[in-house]
Amino acid sequence: MSEEAVVTHHLRLDPEDVGEQDAESLLDAIKSDLRYEEVIHGCLNCGVCSGSCPSHRFFDYSPRIVVQTVLSGDAQAVKDMMDEYIWACAQCYTCAMRCPFHNSPGGLVMIMREVAVWRGMEAVHRLLKPYGRVLLKVLSIGNQLTPDMIQPDFFPDWGPKIPWSSTDLAIKRKAIPVYTLQVTTSAWRVSPETSYELYTIYEETGVFRLIEQIDPNLYEVVSDMVEDLRDMIESSR
Amino acid sequence: MATSPISDKVRTSGWEFITKTVDKRAIMKAAPKDPREELAELEAKGEVKVIHITEENRPIEVETLLGRTKRIPTNKLWHHKSCGQCGNIPGYPTSIMWFMNKLGLEYLDETHQTSCTAWNYHGSGTSNLVALAAVAVRNWHRAYETGYFPLIHCGTSFGNYKEMRNLLIEHKDLRDEVRRIMNKVGRELVIPEEIVHYSEWLHVLRHQIAALKIHDVSSIITTVHPACHVWKLVPEDVIYDPNIYGGQRPAPTTAILLALGAQVADYSTWYDCCGFGFRHILTEREFSRSFSLERKIKVMVEEANSDVAITQDTGCTTTLDKNQWIGKAHGYNYELPVMADVQFAALAAGADPYKVVQIQWHTSAWEKLLDKMGVDWRTSKAEYEAYLEELKSGREPEQLYVPPVENLNLH
Ligand code: SF4
Ligand code: SF4
Repeated sequence: MSEEAVVTHHLRLDPEDVGEQDAESLLDAIKSDLRYEEVIHGCLNCGVCSGSCPSHRFFDYSPRIVVQTVLSGDAQAVKDMMDEYIWACAQCYTCAMRCPFHNSPGGLVMIMREVAVWRGMEAVHRLLKPYGRVLLKVLSIGNQLTPDMIQPDFFPDWGPKIPWSSTDLAIKRKAIPVYTLQVTTSAWRVSPETSYELYTIYEETGVFRLIEQIDPNLYEVVSDMVEDLRDMIESSR
Repeated sequence: MATSPISDKVRTSGWEFITKTVDKRAIMKAAPKDPREELAELEAKGEVKVIHITEENRPIEVETLLGRTKRIPTNKLWHHKSCGQCGNIPGYPTSIMWFMNKLGLEYLDETHQTSCTAWNYHGSGTSNLVALAAVAVRNWHRAYETGYFPLIHCGTSFGNYKEMRNLLIEHKDLRDEVRRIMNKVGRELVIPEEIVHYSEWLHVLRHQIAALKIHDVSSIITTVHPACHVWKLVPEDVIYDPNIYGGQRPAPTTAILLALGAQVADYSTWYDCCGFGFRHILTEREFSRSFSLERKIKVMVEEANSDVAITQDTGCTTTLDKNQWIGKAHGYNYELPVMADVQFAALAAGADPYKVVQIQWHTSAWEKLLDKMGVDWRTSKAEYEAYLEELKSGREPEQLYVPPVENLNLH
């Protein structure tokens, strides 16, 4: 490999590059991720990863093909995979446990997902739609699942006990004998100072800016919450 | 040697390959460096601060996959709660705290914690390495400044924090960036000496916990679902014990069940995931349902005649528990209770099934199991319902634990 071909590792992508979707630049972003060399060491094309992959059983999806395609250097084929194919992975890491080469195809998929999102690829808007509620919670309080999210309308397939758990929720949560859990809109009571610090992390790592670019409506809601909380904390200091 | 029907099934499942190849011998051919040695070097250079396990934490030593010793602190622990557990399986954390009270252990559960944010990351990709590492370090630092050692409840947080610990140790530029962000929030770069999951805590205290048992569980056939992010994501420091599966599979959870005197039955798809999939549970629900029913619930019942599926993590408990009812539409008429190891242990030790184990939030049918264990859930249910009415009338709730100071802010 010539010296020029050595890619510089990156820690994170720049949210200002949302929209940069040239196939070569996407592949370059994948290969220059700090973690790339930890997840791919070569590939025997043995298919052991696919052999125990849960998603391989139920979808047209194979971690062996993901690894082989990235290693082939065919940037367009990699780009095509990022739109839908890689989103079938269940992130279980059975492949990583079994690969004789100590690869982590699941880890590679995660890098590819991150690149797909941070470059604002077409599929991302469709894929993220059902994530609105999770994203709102994780961005505002750093919880991802909260008691009030378990509603029969959203989970009709979870059966007849779900209406029980969403009725009189505040009282049932109060009956959990741990003070921090006696809330309904967060999994536990999160102090305002904690959210305040979290907002700084999201700001400094480009996460807020990313959300602003890929989901402006959600960002508007989040930024109002951020502003209110910051005002509250700063005025109390 | 006669071949039993089960061994034919397990042979075709690839189980033999896993047990023969994916074990410590195969991995040790290229054993990764011990991150704790590198962490000690960084600490000596003043690059990072380390949250040490001290005498006060009363550590117990165990052996891991690569034969390394891992120290599991048992006392003075900071509860790093799980949003999926607290939000959806509240008897999970309460059972942990109930045991800590029973054993007279000191702990801190408070409000200055975020989740690891890794469920959302694995599902949607809307974060990045620096944000994940900064969230991890912020939580670690909070534990550090309180003087308590972090005990990680969630399997994904546990796996993610081990990844973050390793990457922070290996990459100076990541450390520098996280340190810069920590300075902005008035914190420092700290890394715990060990990343410890609650199932490891339960494992090392299993004999003390088993001594609290009041119900005979020897007739109960359990099947264990080991959680992927607990044992596959960063496998090197997972606890293995030569007395449990000949040291070929992770020991936690199985070992506490054996200590309690329950039967642990094998089944051919033990290594499979649960079907949670991070995004699938929300966006590809048919996958989560089909996989959990076909590859886990059905196999646990048909091969092992299981009375209960025992878990050690958040998403698996939810997926296996919540997806059974819909299966009836396709003739999957299984009724297999699903609960975490610590909840099963708490039931065996006489914890109130409603007020402490909060079993009423579980959707799979658990009533027959509790009858078989000799747990009087009917009385407990009546008391719980009366208690809800009292709470509605303004009664103050009972507490296992109240934070010493709600808004304790030390930094
Ligand atoms: S992490 Fe993804 S690719 Fe690997 S085995 Fe699991 S589902 Fe398959
Ligand atoms: S198991 Fe490893 S070496 Fe084999 S095909 Fe998969 S990634 Fe390649």
